[in-house]
Amino acid sequence: MSITRRVFLKNSALTLVSTAVVPAFLTRAVYGSELPLGKKRLVVIFQRDAADGLNIVVPHGESDYYAMRPTINIPQRDVIDLDGMFGLHPSLASFKPIWDQKHLAIVHAAGSPDPTRSHFDAQDFMESGTPGYKATEDGWLNRALHRKDVANKNEPFRAIALGTNLPRILAGHEPAIAVSNVNQFGVGGNNPAATPAANSFESMYEGSVDSVLHGTGQETFDAVKMLKAADPSKYQPAPGANYPRGHFGDALKQTAQLIKANLGVQVAFTDVGGWDHHVNEGATQGQIANVLREFGQSISAFWTDLGDLQEETVVITMSEFGRTARENGNRGTDHGHANVMFVLGGPVRGGRIYGQWPGLAQNQLYEGRDLALTTDFRRVLGEAVSTHMGNRDLNTVFPNFQNSPKSFLGLLG
Amino acid sequence: MLAGILVFASISVALAAKKKKPELEDSRRVVHALNRLTFGPGSGDVERVRSIGIDKWIDEQLHPEKIDDAALQARLANFRTLNMSSREMAERFPPNQLIKQVVDGKLAIPRDPDDRLVYLAALDRYDQKLVNKEKKIEAKDAKASTEQASAPDNEVSDVERQRRREARQHGEQIATQIASLPPEQRIAAMLRLSDDDRRDLLRINDSTRAGLIEGMKTADQEAVLAMRNPTAVVSDELTQAKLLRAFYSQRQLEEVMTDFWFNHFNIYLDKGADHYFVTEYERDVIRPHVFGKFKDLLKATAHSPAMMFYLDNAESVGPNSAAALGIPESLQRPMRRGPFANANPQTQSKKNQQKGLNENYARELMELHTLGVNGGYTQKDVTEVAKVFTGWTIEGPRQGGGFRFAERRHEPGAKYVLGEKIKEDGEKEGEQVLEMLARDPHTAKFVCTKIAMRFVSDAPPQSLIDRMADTWEKKDGDIREVLRTMLKSQEFWSPESYRAKVKTPLEFVASAVRATGADVTDAKPLVATLIQMGMPLYGMQPPTGYSMKAETWVNSAALLSRMNFALSLGSGRFNGTQVAPELLLGKEAPMDPLSIETTLESDLLAGDVSEQTRTVIQKQFNDPQVLARVSDAVKRAQREGVMEGLILGSPEFQRR
Repeated sequence: MSITRRVFLKNSALTLVSTAVVPAFLTRAVYGSELPLGKKRLVVIFQRDAADGLNIVVPHGESDYYAMRPTINIPQRDVIDLDGMFGLHPSLASFKPIWDQKHLAIVHAAGSPDPTRSHFDAQDFMESGTPGYKATEDGWLNRALHRKDVANKNEPFRAIALGTNLPRILAGHEPAIAVSNVNQFGVGGNNPAATPAANSFESMYEGSVDSVLHGTGQETFDAVKMLKAADPSKYQPAPGANYPRGHFGDALKQTAQLIKANLGVQVAFTDVGGWDHHVNEGATQGQIANVLREFGQSISAFWTDLGDLQEETVVITMSEFGRTARENGNRGTDHGHANVMFVLGGPVRGGRIYGQWPGLAQNQLYEGRDLALTTDFRRVLGEAVSTHMGNRDLNTVFPNFQNSPKSFLGLLG
Repeated sequence: MLAGILVFASISVALAAKKKKPELEDSRRVVHALNRLTFGPGSGDVERVRSIGIDKWIDEQLHPEKIDDAALQARLANFRTLNMSSREMAERFPPNQLIKQVVDGKLAIPRDPDDRLVYLAALDRYDQKLVNKEKKIEAKDAKASTEQASAPDNEVSDVERQRRREARQHGEQIATQIASLPPEQRIAAMLRLSDDDRRDLLRINDSTRAGLIEGMKTADQEAVLAMRNPTAVVSDELTQAKLLRAFYSQRQLEEVMTDFWFNHFNIYLDKGADHYFVTEYERDVIRPHVFGKFKDLLKATAHSPAMMFYLDNAESVGPNSAAALGIPESLQRPMRRGPFANANPQTQSKKNQQKGLNENYARELMELHTLGVNGGYTQKDVTEVAKVFTGWTIEGPRQGGGFRFAERRHEPGAKYVLGEKIKEDGEKEGEQVLEMLARDPHTAKFVCTKIAMRFVSDAPPQSLIDRMADTWEKKDGDIREVLRTMLKSQEFWSPESYRAKVKTPLEFVASAVRATGADVTDAKPLVATLIQMGMPLYGMQPPTGYSMKAETWVNSAALLSRMNFALSLGSGRFNGTQVAPELLLGKEAPMDPLSIETTLESDLLAGDVSEQTRTVIQKQFNDPQVLARVSDAVKRAQREGVMEGLILGSPEFQRR
């Protein structure tokens, strides 16, 4: 239903005027390098299926941690220590330099306060930004863009998701697009013979009365033209940005590509699955180590790739909930509660662990089994939306949540 | 209820219907029925249903066993795994774990020549992997000692590329030699090859392989394919069969419902042992119950190794069970015979491992299979249901084994589920909970809503759901009866429902193939297209299954994929699928673009094309430049193909 509403807005008189004029984005994209790069952007990464935060940023100073996880703990000798109490899983070695440069911050015991342990519900809540309230139709990342005072708000690449589907987090009024492969983005790929067919499709969708398909069709063809002008096939990642193979590395590489092509990307979203380790989670080696390595190397390659643009970029990671503090009977972990979030970026006050540590003693655990929650994820995201993106209307982005600047953690400065 | 009956009665009386709520006009009713109850109208379907009569046709579709489906069966005849048990599949197309057992001397190489060929190739691959691993470690050590800048692992050196090229050429030579032998002698010839030669044979390209297996019997052909990747034979046949059924089965509603229920009780094909369980699961667990009682379907899924493995129940152990407390097994299990006797690494290596409760199945059972997410259960219920199902496990999961109730793992004591006490009763506790959940009114509402979302609209009217749920309660969850109630409802036949659903990628691809009357000789490229469109078959990892809502599938990337597929299919450039626009145009094909377009839109979309779309297509083909280029017959065929592609990619064709 959110799509329909978005399209309705697009069709209103005001927007019709702006789409009727010459597509200025074409010239902007071509001469983009001459324009100021002052735009701030936010990149959100979702670790789908509930990552085990306690084995990602390890509380190695807690003896309870080792007691509760006899076979899947990360031994102290393997942890990359950060502050004597917490340390990184060894697969995240590539994060250490960013931490040392004070561009990487960690918020532990964070997440959604809703008690659900359903992947589906919890992901839904974290994407809608309204824990416990299912009727929300749009996503918070879309609402974060909802500002009246911004020029060029109809840039096709303002909000992008890497993948085939537009995720829940980006559903809503503001145009947002899904891109699965920047080099094949268009009718007929790079084949010029397909141009007449492409034009025909464009006219069909442009003139269609189908409210859902008309809007998406128009966004699509605007985006195709713009991307073509930016010539993505010539793209080379910056030296030292070695993206690992696989879906997630590819997605971040293409995100960097779109950002660096100066197409006006303000928010970007991508996700990485494979964290639901009910059985044989592994520790220093094994399942979690493998997926974390891909996660860490992809993000650090992205960071390197951004180069100067690091200054105006903030990256936040999140996962729907954490996992049980104790390992289960299958050397794995079940669905839990609080988790860890990474925040990195030029304006981030990094090299610090934020949030209150609730402890792992039996009476400190949530419902006697999970890491308790001390920082609401909306607190972290709200600070990024407000301080970094400049959208102060947090009541709209995260309704029914008290999120004043005074309560921010001070991640960004 | 009474109102519903009255409305239905009025359908047959056209005059009365006009005074009542608006009804779909007659010409559209047939198209609507085909759009919703099949994977899309094929050529001639509209006329056929019209002549039989909609009601009679629906009744036929609700009783698929009476519909002859020989043409489809002929197309599936080459896919032997479709009829195999999970165990047989695992034996013939072995996973690495089984090969490891052969290496460890726990299992003998099968004698059957086909199987033997597959095992020999797999064993060689296993050896090669070890060799390569050692080489890599050596190379790494060498590199570390000289401290040179290291090239990424995934880059292939020129030397290696050259070596591969030569190996492939060598393989092609061997293949040509063997292909010159009579088909029945070729397997023996491949068995006689040295490991090195056989390895090179695996590098040949697809067309050479097609020549090599031509004329061989099906089992031999499969063996040759399995030499390269045995597990892929299983998934390739399963995914291709799914598409061929959607395209060519006469039992269309059964296929639609099989797809619906599989998605409701979703399993992810690539989760370990499920690779071998899914074929059996769809065939023996889902398909026989698609029009039956919901509780039978539910119970069948609960007992299936596929579900127990997917949602981890097979691993769940009661914290106070004999197994968890280490009480020794008083009774030896009976000895098993066959190649898997003594070949159950699970029982050996994990025996002393600490075991515990796993809540995964219990949660999804209530949230996704029965009550729905707001179905009135709590975390406590989840834990209790998890206890109820402790002991429901699989006999030798990695070897395709079946259901087993392991008393020793079962949590003792009474359990409390949704306020009811479940007395300690072993396996029967689970049966009782399944009955309870199937009977719960939340389940009726939740599942009926989902059915209506598939067949009526993304937000089905509450009045319809209520009536369906009412039938559900009265008829003990009889799915066929619930469908009947829906198919007799005013809501189903209302003009608002007409083409109200946006097709999922599977529905889009299937409807395009059906509409064009295309002949699919190789469905693999279509399987790949669905991956690109974000809907890999049997590839939904989370237990939610795929969304049926428009907003999931309408976005830029997906729309472009659809347009590209439409053009490529229409112009006959899609591998393995042959379309012939002249088939749709008939013998006396019209010459002018206008009538060609009119004929095609009528065949592909029952004429439901907007003025805009029609004008755009005609404009493209009335362009004098385009006309000048389409003088000869070949080019005219191309033009017709593109026209077909444009209609299939149009906004109108995205809906059903």
